Amino acid sequence: MQLRYVFSELRQGLRRNLSMHLAVILTLFVSLSLVGIGALLNMQATKTADHLGSQLEVIVWLCTPDDPSNNACTGEVTEPQKALIEKAIEENPEVDSYHYESKQVAFEKAQELYPDLDFEGEDAAMTAKDMPQSYWVTLKDPDEADGIKSAVQGLDGVSFIGDVREELKPVYTIIDVLKYGSWAAAGMLVLAALLLVANTIRLAALARRKEIGIMRLVGASTMYITLPFLLEALVTAVVGVALAAGALALFMQFGIVDGLGDLIDFLPWIGWEDYLQALFGWRQAGIAILGPVLTVVPTLLLTRKYIKV
Amino acid sequence: MIRFEKVTKKYPGPGQPALDQVTVDIEKGEFVFIVGASGSGKSTALRLVLRETRPTSGRVYVAGKEINRLAGWKVPRLRRQIGTVFQDFRLLPNKTVAENVAFAQQVIGKSRSEIRRTVPETLDLVGLKDKAERLPDELSGGEQQRVAIARAYVNKPMILIADEPTGNLDPASSVGIMNLLQRINETGTTVLMATHDHGIVDQMRKRVVELDHGRVVRDEAMGAYGFQH
Repeated sequence: MQLRYVFSELRQGLRRNLSMHLAVILTLFVSLSLVGIGALLNMQATKTADHLGSQLEVIVWLCTPDDPSNNACTGEVTEPQKALIEKAIEENPEVDSYHYESKQVAFEKAQELYPDLDFEGEDAAMTAKDMPQSYWVTLKDPDEADGIKSAVQGLDGVSFIGDVREELKPVYTIIDVLKYGSWAAAGMLVLAALLLVANTIRLAALARRKEIGIMRLVGASTMYITLPFLLEALVTAVVGVALAAGALALFMQFGIVDGLGDLIDFLPWIGWEDYLQALFGWRQAGIAILGPVLTVVPTLLLTRKYIKV
Repeated sequence: MIRFEKVTKKYPGPGQPALDQVTVDIEKGEFVFIVGASGSGKSTALRLVLRETRPTSGRVYVAGKEINRLAGWKVPRLRRQIGTVFQDFRLLPNKTVAENVAFAQQVIGKSRSEIRRTVPETLDLVGLKDKAERLPDELSGGEQQRVAIARAYVNKPMILIADEPTGNLDPASSVGIMNLLQRINETGTTVLMATHDHGIVDQMRKRVVELDHGRVVRDEAMGAYGFQH
């Protein structure tokens, strides 16, 4: 029976300050979405770093005729050149092991990577003949690639040395920039949300000052008077979080799963478990936790100020 | 029931204290008028009983308990045992008459069935049974004050405090209100009423405590308002 009273006060309170509550919801929506995206990008960056960190391989691509990667190539790599290259690799202390891949193997890999291209017949995109040979070198310590690179770089017959980490550095940087950018924007919006909530409480409390006074006179406990305010704060938080969660889900589905994840399949991408972490995780300020905190805490602090015995 | 022991209340700033060494003892079931000019300390005395403020020195007892020592969170409980009626009625504007009275019961946790039973009884007592669904601004001053009295009385409190309850009413309505308070007092509720109204005090011949600049200058059973006023 008391619950009925509390809920009817809640409905009234929401209706009376509707525009302010909507403002809070919208601000929460945008700021929590940004916080969530920042968290997801953070998780992606960690995943990528872990993955790349485990990449122990460096690839020595050998020259082909009309090699598009290196003007210094004078034609297909010769056997003596290959022997020298192999020797350099073998003698290098940082090398753990290595193996050779022929044109045919490279061709088969290309067919796998680009299933949509036509590899047969007259208008074939490329043939086995066009593929380069290569040495795949596994290092003992992935951070010590410089030694082998410099040893092998200048040798005749070497087209270029492929280091996955180097090539992905720009992507890495972009992810970091986006991450910090969204954290910064989120930080400002979270502050805005806090100020908005504080203002809403203040206005609501002032508007109801007379009523609150009468309630105190009749002997209503502080909890009885504060509860409708707290519930209003909770409702706004829940709606804001729901909207943000929806936006993040769309981001996950169309941005990652169907988007980048499809496009770049050699990197591990964040999945739905990471999405749930962004929502409920403790350490990354899960938005389902942050949202209510942002509204309920200021409400508690401010209503104490206006509802003194 | 209510006891003031050498109570002094000074507000910050210069000037005389609002109450100065006031000692008054009110027994259960009494009907007491507090009279005096504006600024004599009447309202301050009532506020002290309600624990809206604390004395600068001295002690205030309600039902045997020293209330200036009461912890903040216990004060609502004290107030639930005291019915209050004010000059400006203090009704919740967005609630009907019945809801206003029911509010006092909701606040102490009475069940819906109990409220449904008690509120009409109380409204009947104050003569407003057929106005239960009206809003306060649809009522006359006298009717609004009756609602306030109904709300103050619905929980059958030990004490009823009235601060100038007839201040905004015409003489005819005032008589009705005083009759109500008298009947309530007859059921055993201690009534403490602050007032300016000479006529009422003279007519009812109850105990009169007169304050002047914060001091008790007269405490008379069956008193009149006073000659010099």
